[in-house]
Amino acid sequence: MHYVLMVGMAAATLLAFLVPDADQFQKPELARIFFFHFPSALICSVFIFLSGWFGFWLLRTRDMKWDVRNAASVEMGALYGVFTMATGILFSEVQWGTWWQWDPRQTSFLLVLAIFGAGIAIRGAFSDERRRATISAAYSVASLLPSLFLIFVFPRLPHIEQMSFHPSQTVTGGLLDGWYRVGVLSVGFMLAWLTVIVYRMRVRVGELEFQREQFDGSLEAVGGGAAPHRVVRAVSVSEERRDTPQEV
Amino acid sequence: MAEIWTVFRKEWRGEMRSRHGIFTAGLFSLLAVVAIAFASYGQKPSGTILAGMLCITLLFASVMALPRTFLVEDEQGTFDLLRLISEPQPVFVGKTLYNLTQMLVTGFVLAILLIGFAGLQVTVVWLYILALVAECMALAGAVSLCGALAIGAANRWILAAVLSVPLLLPQVAMGVGAFRAALGEGTIAGGTQNVLGLLGFGVAALALGPVLAASVWKTE
Repeated sequence: MHYVLMVGMAAATLLAFLVPDADQFQKPELARIFFFHFPSALICSVFIFLSGWFGFWLLRTRDMKWDVRNAASVEMGALYGVFTMATGILFSEVQWGTWWQWDPRQTSFLLVLAIFGAGIAIRGAFSDERRRATISAAYSVASLLPSLFLIFVFPRLPHIEQMSFHPSQTVTGGLLDGWYRVGVLSVGFMLAWLTVIVYRMRVRVGELEFQREQFDGSLEAVGGGAAPHRVVRAVSVSEERRDTPQEV
Repeated sequence: MAEIWTVFRKEWRGEMRSRHGIFTAGLFSLLAVVAIAFASYGQKPSGTILAGMLCITLLFASVMALPRTFLVEDEQGTFDLLRLISEPQPVFVGKTLYNLTQMLVTGFVLAILLIGFAGLQVTVVWLYILALVAECMALAGAVSLCGALAIGAANRWILAAVLSVPLLLPQVAMGVGAFRAALGEGTIAGGTQNVLGLLGFGVAALALGPVLAASVWKTE
């Protein structure tokens, strides 16, 4: 399956270079950055929703599997946020003549990236994994509304929209050039596919990490001594184990 | 309701003993106004610039002063006791209401100082007052929530600021939109729209905050 993805990704990238130039841009040949920029922004927005959704479920069920998914969503969202910013800055330089110009959409996306950054920072601030999970989940839920405002509302406010270089009707109004539409859809589809695979791998790694931590904890409890590695963690011994000592 | 009022009174009495929060926020406001007056000496800043300065000063005054109500409990070791005698929701709401009161005092002091020292000319007074109340409400709600989340963290004061600022910037943007209309730039309809947005943010933070605080504090 991964070979199909590799071939598809290569074909989509090739297509992005083969579609005819869009003459409306100052440097039409370099406007193809859009094929990667726009899907990245969309995928980043999806991870904002996912992060809030997984946060909600963690707070509701206290099941740590949601924390693994929440952490993966925050990391992947931040990654795509950085990718969106990088391609946007490059586009800004080649088409508008400056790396950074405080365009409202650029700025609002920078703030979304800052929210993802705060989400990552919060995970490093708590040593207890349960507490870290609930606090991160609560922050993901709390940051959903400001993030949605920054992405969907703020750039469309009338006095803000006038100042922005970003066209707001091109995609939603169906004004995208036919070949460009094919290019965006192709690259977007392949990028989404790649994202699903990487995301699932990240979740699997997170689950394995969690299982390993639990295993270390159980070794400490059963043996009554230290694990092979130095593990500094509070140990809770269940009622059954306390009553019936087991051998390792 | 009685529990909320008790928590509010506890915060008020604590503040009256030390006067730390109001003193810090008041001094910060005064220094900010003096800095703005210095920076714009001999010039007449536009309404939009002054609106931006007012909102940024309110933002930093809130981030500096408001998380204290939550974090100081953690530092003094009184947070567990507080949770023993009360449910999380009234604790959060009581502290947030106190934060709102403190923020309103700071906001009005700052607004008056800006009119007196920086030559701020308000053209639509009702919109100015409404924007100030809505901005304070939105800031108090969001900063209280972040303060509640940062309890127990390493570097909790810095973390509270790091968590708050990205969440508060949309509110600052709306605040600028509302204040600039009150100062004669932009339309009143646009200003009112921004005030409604701020009120929406404030209500959302006040509604969501107790639920999140309860679910987070229950796990400990």
